[in-house]
Amino acid sequence: MSIVKKPGAISNWYLPGIISGMIFTLRKMIYNIFHKDKMPTLNYPEEKYEYSPRFKGQHVLTVKKDGSIRCTACMLCATNCPAQCIKIVAAESEDPSVEKYPINYEIDVLRCVYCGYCEEACPVDAIRMGPEWQKPGANGSNFTYDIQELAYRPQLKGGIESRLDEQERHDFGI
Amino acid sequence: MPKITLNGKSIEVADGITIIEAYKQLDEPIAHYCWHPGLTIAGVCRLCVVEIEGNPRLQIACNTVVQDGMVVNNNSEKVKTAVKWGLDFHLINHPLDCPICDQAGECELQNQYMEFGKYDPEMAEHKVKKRKVVDLGERIVLDTERCILCSRCVRFTNEVSKTNELGIFNRGDRSEVGTFEDKPLNNKYSVNTVDICPVGALTSKDFRFRQRVWYLKDKPSICTGCSTGCSVNVYYNEEGIFRLKPRFNKDVNGYWMCDEGRDIYKHINKENRMVRGRYKKDGAWCSTLPLETAKKAGEKLRTYSADQIAVLVTGQYTNEELDVFVNYAVNKLGTKNIFHWKNNPDGWNEFDGLLLRGDKNPNSKGLQKVLQKHTVGGEWKDLVNQIDKFKAVVVAGPENLQAYPDLKEKIGTLARLECVVWATADDNIAFEGLMDFTYLIPQKTSVEKSGHFTNYNGLEQKVDVVTTLLSDSLNLEETVELLVGESVDMSQREKEDMHVMKKNYFTTERGRL
Amino acid sequence: MEIKLLTEHYDKKEFRFIEGYKKLGGYETLKKAFSLKPEEIINEVKASGLRGRGGAGFPTGVKWSFLPQNGEKRYLLCNADEGEPGTFKDRLMMERAPHQLIEGMIISAYAINSPKSYIYVRGEYNYPIKVLEKALQEAYDAGYLGKNILGSGFDHDMDIYRGAGAYICGEETGMISSLEGKKGQPKLKPPFPAIKGYLGQPTIVNNVETLAAVKYIIRDGAEAYRKYGTEKSAGTKLFSVSGNVNKPGTYEVPLGYPLMDLINNECGGMKNGAKLKAVIPGGSSAPILTAEEVQKTTMDYECLAQMGSMLGSGAVIVMDDSNCMVDMLKVTLHFYHHESCGQCTPCREGTGWIHKIVSSIVNGEGRLQDIDLLEKIAQQMMGRTICALSDAAAMPTLGFITKFKDEFEFFVREGRSKVKEVRAHA
Repeated sequence: MSIVKKPGAISNWYLPGIISGMIFTLRKMIYNIFHKDKMPTLNYPEEKYEYSPRFKGQHVLTVKKDGSIRCTACMLCATNCPAQCIKIVAAESEDPSVEKYPINYEIDVLRCVYCGYCEEACPVDAIRMGPEWQKPGANGSNFTYDIQELAYRPQLKGGIESRLDEQERHDFGI
Repeated sequence: MPKITLNGKSIEVADGITIIEAYKQLDEPIAHYCWHPGLTIAGVCRLCVVEIEGNPRLQIACNTVVQDGMVVNNNSEKVKTAVKWGLDFHLINHPLDCPICDQAGECELQNQYMEFGKYDPEMAEHKVKKRKVVDLGERIVLDTERCILCSRCVRFTNEVSKTNELGIFNRGDRSEVGTFEDKPLNNKYSVNTVDICPVGALTSKDFRFRQRVWYLKDKPSICTGCSTGCSVNVYYNEEGIFRLKPRFNKDVNGYWMCDEGRDIYKHINKENRMVRGRYKKDGAWCSTLPLETAKKAGEKLRTYSADQIAVLVTGQYTNEELDVFVNYAVNKLGTKNIFHWKNNPDGWNEFDGLLLRGDKNPNSKGLQKVLQKHTVGGEWKDLVNQIDKFKAVVVAGPENLQAYPDLKEKIGTLARLECVVWATADDNIAFEGLMDFTYLIPQKTSVEKSGHFTNYNGLEQKVDVVTTLLSDSLNLEETVELLVGESVDMSQREKEDMHVMKKNYFTTERGRL
Repeated sequence: MEIKLLTEHYDKKEFRFIEGYKKLGGYETLKKAFSLKPEEIINEVKASGLRGRGGAGFPTGVKWSFLPQNGEKRYLLCNADEGEPGTFKDRLMMERAPHQLIEGMIISAYAINSPKSYIYVRGEYNYPIKVLEKALQEAYDAGYLGKNILGSGFDHDMDIYRGAGAYICGEETGMISSLEGKKGQPKLKPPFPAIKGYLGQPTIVNNVETLAAVKYIIRDGAEAYRKYGTEKSAGTKLFSVSGNVNKPGTYEVPLGYPLMDLINNECGGMKNGAKLKAVIPGGSSAPILTAEEVQKTTMDYECLAQMGSMLGSGAVIVMDDSNCMVDMLKVTLHFYHHESCGQCTPCREGTGWIHKIVSSIVNGEGRLQDIDLLEKIAQQMMGRTICALSDAAAMPTLGFITKFKDEFEFFVREGRSKVKEVRAHA
């Protein structure tokens, strides 16, 4: 780093610089008190920023009308995931119209790069990236989220319903 | 030898072959579903259409025999359009449930549509709904909606297994593959129908939903389930082995393999293996590294005189291993008491007419050859007759313990001896019956080593390392070297293992998609 | 002008029994045939120019001479599985003159040296089967069947096999499969049945009318037979006329007879004097002819082929202008969708697809591009399958769409028929 010094004795004085800085700050403070809405900063955590609906935050596994998980365990998200943070164990469902479903779906969010490729790969709208982004945790807490966390965490209020419904598709003859 | 021109390329082919076989010889792309080289011709998928010069109508390549001077092509616009529409006809009533279909990734419908498809589906009507998830017996699940009615499976049960269970019922687009009154499809070769099914209509219960195929790699090997020695492809990943599929070998198995052979991967996977070496001391089992166990066993063994030691050997090891093993036993241990342990001496020569044999060892012929070379050998009953003579026994035990159902009873007999050194790949509860001075030395399985197996017919077939599941375990050669007190250079082997299991092998080179 | 050659005595009740049949000259030709050599009979049939009356119109004598010259056992099959919609001539021939068929078959069997023949009758034909069974028994009792017929040294057995009502069993290889006890599905050709047919033996399959006509060719000679019809389409043919005419029924006319004459003279003109709209000249699988085309149509193989249609089994379906062509196509396609055996993909899926498209047009859910799509699908179904059922569904579809496109477009746009209220079909 190089320091650019203006020549002359005046530049060796600190006080004028400090005072002009203080004046600038004071002016901004007074301005902000009277123009609160134009303030560029937020009083986090009391105030929170509204992200656009396209924001790629915490993963959500969607559910069907009956509340069961929409995912068919096709593993396309896991295949597409560049960070390889998705682990799925598939099993045969009792219900023949479902056939295949995940008994275990885990995302290691510390490895996740929030690229959204899983969402893109999903053929049945089973995984989405939601608006949540605050995920604090103490040292040593588990950041590998399972189905319970991904689909039924309290913030989701019983689960997000998938747009694609298998029964509707079936009835329509697709 | 007729000379024909395919897509502008001249080729001389054998007399009486069909055009599609000529295409295969030339390695030119041609779409087809119902044609399978191991089955008769059905000619129903109508995809292998070709244009023959002088014939205004398109002909199917699978049922047209080549004639000298024929000029054939399948790259004209007319043929391409026909194939495009042919594929669309296959797809209009196909459910397209690829996400939950196990065939996805190795599905002919996917592959051929990628290559020859129309990419502009015009079907806007309701699809025909048929039965899904039909339980077809012990090993197979049927999905009639996915079926494209190529009739390969029906022809397989009619022509190869000759069990005639399958048929096509109903007419038109209501046609369904099935068994009469849903009787189970339980024959000894049933899973072959899954292999030849070009779509996911027939899936194997054993493999169903366990892995997506693009997570698996395959390498050629030999089935060790019986003395036929079918050529197989082993599908594996870092978690272990998931399935075996037959590999074409016209001298041994053709295109097929039996259902029993498909199960042998189970004993190779870690769950059933002996991971650590074990020895029994003062009534309690101690576990060590395999290498240490072998060394300890060697020390104990060398306290006996040569004629107190018996050697029991099974035909489950490669020729190379057996050669060294018998050589060391004869020359270093100095014993002539070497016995060939057979799984079922009564049904030894049984044969079901297709592939399955009673001799459940891959290398009985090779073992017999080695024993003859050293002019030693006896049977189990010879060992039993003179068992009081011996104090110690070295067992080159079976790799696949399932093939030896009377294991427990045999172990009971051997437990009468003072010292038992047992080389085994699998773990089994029956080993608990052994007494003090028992040494169990973990062995590698056929997919973890290279060598040769000699099948029932005297045909020597090479196996290569497919994968390494337990890198600590020894092969029989190393075991016997350690038993006689020689040292084994493990550093050399580490390199071999590393070559097979390179770091990030599966993550950097995931399957094709 | 109607020519009564085969149908001469059809009005006489005694003709169906052996006494009456013999009284009217029956089984005399058989005696004459036994005095000839088999090759002479084949040559006579070849010379007569007789062509298959079942649909394809393949020269019968030529078909017979395809048989391999070796000692293999040969079979003769009579195709009486009359399944083509609109056809009912074979039923009449079996009901009214069973002995005429049996005699023709014995002569044909003698010509091709076959010791065994089967009559494959459509399962719904209860009464004709009863009549045939009785006639067969009479023929056995009279010594026209069995060992050493009429002292000629020729042995022949005949059986009746009852089909189960599948249209596809009227196709010769499908019929052979059915007769073998398998699912009635056509077999791959080659090998052709004349080389490898029933039970793997050389087999000749002929229509009822063809085999009956053999009798008259041998009785009168090829020259006399050639008197009727045209140069390339010789002889007479039975036409089953149905639809909006005053006197529907089976009429025997020489080939080359003008279609308008058949409608106006034999059938007594259009019903209620309505205007002729279209005619299907050869069973439902033949492409339709418009009223203008009908004016210049003569009923022979060549003329109809030139018009882009075919003679088929000779089932003439006459439609007046109260018929909706969209609905007509839907009914036709429903039949082919139902009857496709499901073996070859283009037919199995294609018949269902075009039927569904036409149904959705009839239900008012059609789109304009559906009409083009129908044409594309039909074109891709043509000539792509083992047997001709796919073509049989595709050809009328193409015919209807190209010739009555305006009606289809009207239906799609307005959601109703241009002609009348359409009945609801299953």
